[in-house]
Amino acid sequence: MKRPMTLVLVLLLALALPAAVFAGGQKEAAPGAAAAAAGNLERSLAVDTSGLKSEDGQPLIILQEKQREVPSRPANPDALPEDDPLHWWDIEFAGWNANKQNIPESPKDGAIGKSIVFIVHGDHPWTTACTLGAQKIANAYNMKFKPLSPNWDLAVQNQMIDQAINERPDMILLIPLDAKTAPQQARKINQAGIPLILFNTLPSAAAMDYCITWTGPDDFGQFRMLSRVWADEMKRIHGTSGVGVAYTQHAPGGSPYFARCWGPISELSGYAPWVKTLDKQAPGFEADKTMQLVSDWLTRFGRDLKGICAADDSSQALGIFEALEKAGRRDVVVVAAGNSKVGMDLVKDGKLFAITYQTAEGDGALAVQTAADWFNGKEIPPVKYLPKHIITKADVEDFYPPQW
Amino acid sequence: MNNDSKKGRGREKTLTFIDRNRIFLLFGVVFLVMALFAPRFMTSFNLTTIMRTTAMNATAAIGFTLILIVGQLDLSIGTIITFAGVVGLGLKQYIGYGGSVPIAILAGCAIGLINGLLVAKAKISSFIVTLGMLTLLQGAIYTITRGNSISLSSPDAFAVSDWLARMIIPLITPRVVITLVLVGGFTVFLRLTRVGRNFYMVGGNRQTAWLSGMDTDLYTIVAFVISGFTAAVGGVLFAMEGAAATLNLGNTSLMYVISAVIIGGTAMSGGKGGVLKSFFAILMLDVLYNGIILFGLGNEVKIFIAGIILAAVVLYEAYTRYKHDKTVGQRAELLKEVDELKERIKTAKHRAAV
Repeated sequence: MKRPMTLVLVLLLALALPAAVFAGGQKEAAPGAAAAAAGNLERSLAVDTSGLKSEDGQPLIILQEKQREVPSRPANPDALPEDDPLHWWDIEFAGWNANKQNIPESPKDGAIGKSIVFIVHGDHPWTTACTLGAQKIANAYNMKFKPLSPNWDLAVQNQMIDQAINERPDMILLIPLDAKTAPQQARKINQAGIPLILFNTLPSAAAMDYCITWTGPDDFGQFRMLSRVWADEMKRIHGTSGVGVAYTQHAPGGSPYFARCWGPISELSGYAPWVKTLDKQAPGFEADKTMQLVSDWLTRFGRDLKGICAADDSSQALGIFEALEKAGRRDVVVVAAGNSKVGMDLVKDGKLFAITYQTAEGDGALAVQTAADWFNGKEIPPVKYLPKHIITKADVEDFYPPQW
Repeated sequence: MNNDSKKGRGREKTLTFIDRNRIFLLFGVVFLVMALFAPRFMTSFNLTTIMRTTAMNATAAIGFTLILIVGQLDLSIGTIITFAGVVGLGLKQYIGYGGSVPIAILAGCAIGLINGLLVAKAKISSFIVTLGMLTLLQGAIYTITRGNSISLSSPDAFAVSDWLARMIIPLITPRVVITLVLVGGFTVFLRLTRVGRNFYMVGGNRQTAWLSGMDTDLYTIVAFVISGFTAAVGGVLFAMEGAAATLNLGNTSLMYVISAVIIGGTAMSGGKGGVLKSFFAILMLDVLYNGIILFGLGNEVKIFIAGIILAAVVLYEAYTRYKHDKTVGQRAELLKEVDELKERIKTAKHRAAV
């Protein structure tokens, strides 16, 4: 007992001393300070990223041509029924009424040479494509770009945020792992005086107070659009009586969990009230679990099940079609959030009716471009959406080769 | 005694020392490498970050070490972490932390008690019982929260959160203090008290322990209650500091804690191990992961290195067990006498030949 304790004490003492010395020594000025050199702003403003392309041949930076109209917030959205679109106001329009706090002023000294830490949520082919897109813009501005992935672990993401703060970059860009934990994460970065951009998944409204802006897909908007196309197709095939649908949901906690299920439900309550929601479940992102879930639905609901809306167009979609094929059901209209290679191939084969255009590279690129715009002193809106588009068999070829 | 046997004994002593203290040495080496080469590693902010990161899993590892010492397994610690976080934060808005935190911790103890009773009294394998509890708790968490994470953004919740995260002195925050107190308390309890040492006996040889008059069932039940308690404390404190509890808060903790406790030298077969060693194993892994991030390396490198360390430790354990099994029952002093006799005969033959 004594020996290990002595050993530990000696080790800690030996290491704590230089720690204290280094602690003082390493608090030097942020690396981005060099970017204040004369002419940097002019050079940065001259950088043109409009010609950059994603791997699918689409422009890397595409902004939504027309900003969404934001309805007034109801006094108490929670008091409204869940199938009322305004019930979801706080999630769908998070950020639009943010009460910004302690947001740093833009240095207006140009984006070239700035250091940014890019923290995503976890390892996934989508994330790889997203990081690639971000890297392309960072390279265009010669930024020091450090991507970090906590592999879906909140404790690790919190640790990475602390470490990023420790590095004192010029900006942190973050995909919060969970909408509800985002406020504390954003607040911590904000209190450290480091500019923050949140992107991709929508955090809860309180987090928006602490960031410069949020960029990413208009998930609710996309799914409201998708649900109309879906309802039209179901009406064409099955008419308007006895149309039951089910939803395979995204991972609980994040904004897609709500947007990709309650978006269509609340939209259809007005647009196609004859569509009845039979069930909604989150089977994760495994094809076999999704297949089992859909097989259970087919047993339980039989011919009443006329449509399935999936939160993911790869693993979930594969599981759905495996179950449908085993049951010999070709009449079920399936739509999903896309656009992975698997999803686009399924659309091309005529199995998946429609998917949303979710540019992964564009998502990362838009976040970094917005960071560059902020360093360049441009006006930044509280929310910046990616464009909305629904891919069907008619135009799926335009989006090949897939980004992931 | 000749020089060779002196050297042999010295070597044996060194090997025993290394074996007994391998986790401290491993920690020292990893720390030193990171201190020398990882950029910005030796800042008080970064070192405090490591300690704060360590706190949740280290707290849960205390109970898990005890579970392994008594020769059982607890797969439910990850979900107890989540459950306690959800209960602690979920009830806060109704009864404040003063009521919600004790309830969350008591809930953890109650879950441990159910696990313990089913294992000790119903004689069901701890693997099956705790796997069932894991699934049951996951269902309960999703039912209670309806798939929503719980977050608090009121000024008082942020005040508690800031207080738990504030640096008292470099490396030490209030949450770290709680972890260190628990680690210290359980280390002393297991090493220096008769009741504490009895846990080793129950895990090392259950039958002998029973024949010695120990209530082995009671020790098993208590170990599960402590495991539930420490997991709940870890979970609720983590949630309080983050002012949020996600539904997968403790999902990765189970594998992390199992790996660390084994790397720390606690035997899965029971009867061997220590809380302090488990703590240093968690700390070592966190230092390693921290350094990997500072080097700008990816998550895949982190998983790969952790896998190598775990594999090396398991191989080493297997080798020492093989060596032990080979020599079990042999009397070392007799073997030494035979060796000396052989040496003398060899020398005599050599002289005769000359």
